[in-house]
Amino acid sequence: MVRTFSEVCLTAGTLIVLFVAYVLLWTGVKADRAMDGEMARMRDRWAAAPAAAPATAPQPAPQAAPPAQEPPGYPPGQAFAEMYVPRFGPDWNKPVLEGTGTDVLKKGLGHYAGTAPLGGTGNFSVAGHRRTYGDPFKDFPELRPGDTVILKDATAWYTYTVRGAPLRTLPTDIGVVDPVPRRSPFTGPGRYLTLTTCEPEWGHSHRLVVWAELTRTRPVAQGRPEGLPS
Amino acid sequence: MYGWIWRHLPGSAWIRALISLVLVLGVVFVLFQYVFPWAEPLLPFNDVTVDEGSGATP
Repeated sequence: MVRTFSEVCLTAGTLIVLFVAYVLLWTGVKADRAMDGEMARMRDRWAAAPAAAPATAPQPAPQAAPPAQEPPGYPPGQAFAEMYVPRFGPDWNKPVLEGTGTDVLKKGLGHYAGTAPLGGTGNFSVAGHRRTYGDPFKDFPELRPGDTVILKDATAWYTYTVRGAPLRTLPTDIGVVDPVPRRSPFTGPGRYLTLTTCEPEWGHSHRLVVWAELTRTRPVAQGRPEGLPS
Repeated sequence: MYGWIWRHLPGSAWIRALISLVLVLGVVFVLFQYVFPWAEPLLPFNDVTVDEGSGATP
């Protein structure tokens, strides 16, 4: 009797240790693999789409315009951009996928469906894991005004500059992804970016939000923008 | 429980140890492949959006 009880306790303890290892380590391994796959597939698509490439190469001048002509929606669950945040480290580079479902966020950052397209007028809003699944937004609270969030799609680099420190808010506060985000430093329409993640680090009682606005665009043909280690 | 399994495994002690190892690896595989992925979303780490969960489109 005592023997069986202690065996059950041991089994339960082992299960818990294994589960913690799964959540802390294995989800990261899986997510890194999935993100690499998404990134590779996206780059293949970009390379295989000649419609976009020749348009940008010869004439860089009207480059600010393309986002406006972009179709209103990206295909759900598919990566369409990559994000660089120098504050998170020189190697920090994640794919952005369309949608914010649990499955999507296991494979990269998620673009809130229905918010503005990349570089477009409105609010390009992106959610990401702070912990587990590769910890993409682990250093989220380190973001400071003036930091850049750089995104790249098939045709251009978009540099957004952070305005204001990360804000702690409630999960129901969907106004933060409005075209002119509520409680943000912005007052009029513009080309904004919102990032959201969970707060506290391991909890879900609140959300952490940071806003940025588009400060530069640059055709892919002109190479990586400044502020980004090559 | 474990003693019962051990007694019902065939072969010498070495073969039993080998079978036990395979059984343990099998259990760990099933846990990582099926059980934990099911249990993990029940934890709060997935709540990173402001629209109260996933799928909802603001």
